[in-house]
Amino acid sequence: MSQGPDDWTPRQYTVRHRTTYTYEGAVEACFERGFLAPRATPSQRVLANEVHVSPEPQLLTEHVDHFGNPSFYVEIQTPHRELVVEKVSHLEVHWPQPDLDALDAWTVEAAAADLLAHADPVDRVGHLLPSPLVQPAPEVLDYCRSVIAPGMPLGQAIVALARGIHRDFAYKSGVTTVRTTLPELLELRQGVCQDFAHLAIGCLRSLGLPARYVSGYLETVPPPGQAKLAGADASHAWASVMVPGGGWIDLDPTNDHLADSRYVVTAWGRDFRDVSPLKGIVMAEAAGASTLAVAVDVTRV
Amino acid sequence: MTTPLNPADGAAPASGAPTAVSSGVLAAYAATLRDRPADPLRGVDELVAGEGLRPEQQLLADAVDAMGMPGLLAARHETRRLVHDDGIRYGVSGRDGVRDLDWRLDPLPVVLSAAEWAGLERGLQQRAALLELIHDDLYGERLLLRRGVIPAEVVLGHPGFLRQVDHVRSRGGLVVGAHDLGRDADGSWRVLADRMSAPSGAGYAMANRRVTTRVLAGLHRSTELARLRGFFHTMSAAVREAAPPSSEVPRVVLYSPGSMSETAYDQSFLASLLGFPLAESDDLVVRDGRVWLRAAGRLEPVDVLLRRVDPEYCDPLDLRGDSQLGLPGLVEATRRGTLTVANPLGAQVLENPGLAPFLQAASQALLGEDLQLTGKPAWWCGDRDGLAHVLDSFDRLVIRPLATGGPERAHLGAHLAPDAREELRRRIQAEPWAWVGQEPLPLSTAPVVTPRGLVPGRVVVRTFWAQRDGERHVMPGGLARAGVGAPELHVSSSAGAIAKDVWVLAPETAESGWGDPGVRPELVAVRPRAVVAPRVADNLFWLGRYAERAEAAGRVLRVCDDLVEDHASRPGTPGEQAMRALLAAATTITRVPGDPAQPRAHVRTMVTDPRQSGSLRYAADRLGDAAQRVRDQLSQDIWHVLSRLDRTLAHVPSDEHQLQPHLYDVLESLLAVSGVIAESMVRDETWGFLDGGIRLERAQFTVALLAATLAQERPPIIDGQLTEAVLEVGESILTHRRRTVAGEGPVWPIHSAVSLLLLDRGNPRSVAFSIDRLAEDLHLVGDEVLAAKAEALAGQVARVDLVEACAGDRTGLAEILGEVRASLFAVSDDLTRRRFARKTSQQTLPINWAVTS
Repeated sequence: MSQGPDDWTPRQYTVRHRTTYTYEGAVEACFERGFLAPRATPSQRVLANEVHVSPEPQLLTEHVDHFGNPSFYVEIQTPHRELVVEKVSHLEVHWPQPDLDALDAWTVEAAAADLLAHADPVDRVGHLLPSPLVQPAPEVLDYCRSVIAPGMPLGQAIVALARGIHRDFAYKSGVTTVRTTLPELLELRQGVCQDFAHLAIGCLRSLGLPARYVSGYLETVPPPGQAKLAGADASHAWASVMVPGGGWIDLDPTNDHLADSRYVVTAWGRDFRDVSPLKGIVMAEAAGASTLAVAVDVTRV
Repeated sequence: MTTPLNPADGAAPASGAPTAVSSGVLAAYAATLRDRPADPLRGVDELVAGEGLRPEQQLLADAVDAMGMPGLLAARHETRRLVHDDGIRYGVSGRDGVRDLDWRLDPLPVVLSAAEWAGLERGLQQRAALLELIHDDLYGERLLLRRGVIPAEVVLGHPGFLRQVDHVRSRGGLVVGAHDLGRDADGSWRVLADRMSAPSGAGYAMANRRVTTRVLAGLHRSTELARLRGFFHTMSAAVREAAPPSSEVPRVVLYSPGSMSETAYDQSFLASLLGFPLAESDDLVVRDGRVWLRAAGRLEPVDVLLRRVDPEYCDPLDLRGDSQLGLPGLVEATRRGTLTVANPLGAQVLENPGLAPFLQAASQALLGEDLQLTGKPAWWCGDRDGLAHVLDSFDRLVIRPLATGGPERAHLGAHLAPDAREELRRRIQAEPWAWVGQEPLPLSTAPVVTPRGLVPGRVVVRTFWAQRDGERHVMPGGLARAGVGAPELHVSSSAGAIAKDVWVLAPETAESGWGDPGVRPELVAVRPRAVVAPRVADNLFWLGRYAERAEAAGRVLRVCDDLVEDHASRPGTPGEQAMRALLAAATTITRVPGDPAQPRAHVRTMVTDPRQSGSLRYAADRLGDAAQRVRDQLSQDIWHVLSRLDRTLAHVPSDEHQLQPHLYDVLESLLAVSGVIAESMVRDETWGFLDGGIRLERAQFTVALLAATLAQERPPIIDGQLTEAVLEVGESILTHRRRTVAGEGPVWPIHSAVSLLLLDRGNPRSVAFSIDRLAEDLHLVGDEVLAAKAEALAGQVARVDLVEACAGDRTGLAEILGEVRASLFAVSDDLTRRRFARKTSQQTLPINWAVTS
């Protein structure tokens, strides 16, 4: 996916995300935890957000979680065979173009040392320690060294990491799952955005740079001459790295570039486990198999 | 019963210096202490410290010497017997049916002086206050981390730090706590571990006290000792007061992982000491963002969970998704403030050994005081100097992972084999922030009674506190564990240590009495009505059924055995045929197959085979299991009679001996069980389920017995003998004979039998009587629909015409019995469906591993 100066201009989006669970049998009650509203960030302002749940929930509450994300609890006590959770968000997005030259004033090593000396310990350590899905492994370290040297200028290193993963891994869905480990991914050499984000995070942490997982959306453009299909967009994930001075730089290894104004943030955490868009527990005598359908539209307004 | 063991009761002097009558037990123990090799893990002795006895040890020392080895061994034996009789258990029974789960307790207490205890108490209170402030900060602003008082890695890298409960304010804070302490070589007390999440053992401490004071009754009487009971009053109030402010009369449950838990005894005993019911995940449900106790047809709000479930397992929605012990929505309920979990879900982070090096600084930062009660010096490997020191002193230190309790354990560097040592050093260097090195604590020893004499056991004492209005009340005693054998790092019950009671001498100013100083008398609040959860109801019902099933099997098999003795060797006689008929009936009822040519062996199988699901032994075993599962609902006395039943069942006479005496013993034990049940339980819903089980089982058994014996046409001479046998099984033969002699009862034995065992509403052995009681029980459990059904059945039985029913070929009787049998079955079925239904199962929804563009 190419990137040009137009991609950094301010714009507004409507994001519609609809998740439908269909069960073979009746479900008596269900409990859901989801990220049903985008968080405000330096690069985006939330103009409005609506949440629709069917059947009507007995309880729908919201709180701000450990990472600062709005987190929703949904409780449904009416028997049902289908659960629909939909959110519609209106946002204004404007990412500043990162000043890579300024970042290059630090080497990777020097940046890590600067953060150790000056960054907020909770923020820094919270994103530097291993997390459930990003565990340190010699394979990750080896891969990281093949792409970045600790003496490399920081800006170049971030770009090189996005480029390296994009070059070395094939995009293929259905090969990996939420349980695939980084060494397994490095063996497979293919995966989806979550895998690539996790790998980038693992590499950055191994260099002493705090890194987090960002869950959100990316506006897509249909091939020339074709109309955009409804529901054809998808949620997306990328990585973000802490840099000296207290800022974060978002990099998208799936698309080999830094995040621009086409990127809409939902939530961030240490890895996917912290920001799974929607998870739930159903109470059922025999719910049988359930099917999951997700429809996402990112529309520029 | 314990007097022979009590020195103070006998001729031995009750006080004074060790005397000339010394049996030398203590002298020999002191010699053992002198001769043993030095060990970095072993320090002073509690009883025979250094040159002479400390004054507070005098009474115990005198008692030990006066008892001598024979007296001590008798005390040990008595302790074991009482532990078994009280049903005090620890651990989980193995798959191969290993039943030896008895709690291991040494008769000799660890004695601490009032002055020493007062100092310890202050130290514990201060430490508890500090941990509370740390907890609040870690789940709040985290200034301790941001200002570098505690390194962020130590907290954020600990699995007990639960981001899911960040910023949840828990009313009451840390309501309870426990600390494992050991005495250092210089005599001071040191902290080995803080048990802040869901401390266990307070129940065991009380159980120890109850046993020890009976075994050493004389010594106990002559010792001014701080009592434990008052602590549980305070703890109960502390937990109730932690309820959300909206609840006027708070409902508290002890939230348990279940009867398969290692410390199930501790949980249920504690629940009964505190006056709270025990509840498992199946008994509870989240609805509208709050927790409820499930009772048939209604839900009762729960305000406080006194938690014994590991935090990670408490909520499959927000915590471990694969947990079956938790409640989805529990975390949200705490966040909404409708529920207090004590202790809070995030408290496990305080059990982190990585905090040890930083507690002194935290105490200065938060309390402005020096920490009085500390652990041994410790170094965190996450800083350069700490790492260097730990690697340099590796062999002298205890190496602890931050994440204790998980798959990782602490190791003494010197105890590791060379390759394991290198592996551990490599791992520390790879992830230094995850490790801590600490100087080992040379634990004090105390004498443990063994057949080889008194043996020094290394002592760890667990102390307990409860917090009320910001004040921490320390239990004046505790749970000591003594590890005998080669010094190991871990002294714990799971590592095989034996428990000891902890006697804290009362300060001279304290008034002796039942209560502790500081316990305020309080008005008993009007408690919400007891609610019986479906799981509890089910177990009570089956407790009743199995008790009755075992008894019924015992009665029919006792008569079978008698008939076999008399008639088996005389084939073809009417007696032999009656015997065969009753044996066939017993086989139909128990469904335990046997060889007709070997009636004696068959009866034996029906009595003793634990694998046959209809045998007496099987029913008795299930009775014990059911009792374990509803331990908190039952009187303490039940364990004595169940333990007696256990012992009786274990002594099956050998093949050449008659079973008769054994069956009498078993029946006697079973009658004791029903006696305790009948005399110790309040007639409420709980009783309704239990007695309902007994009555339904008895009615079904009697109907089955009559159907298999008297509802068939037989030659009169055989029928007569069989009828007598059936009356004997039904405990009604004497009434029958008395009435016959007095000319009051029916003339024909068959009429008498059917009248007494089916229709007589005054005979506790009859079907009619059982159905009447069952109807009353169903009223008690509040099920009017089923009660009406039972009453209708009683009416149906009352309308049976005795003479007509027994006329002819008895098909009339068979038909009536068939109808009653079907009706009873329907009641049982309905009751199971309506009142014992478990929660629907939970499933985790597939996670959306989204596909990118």
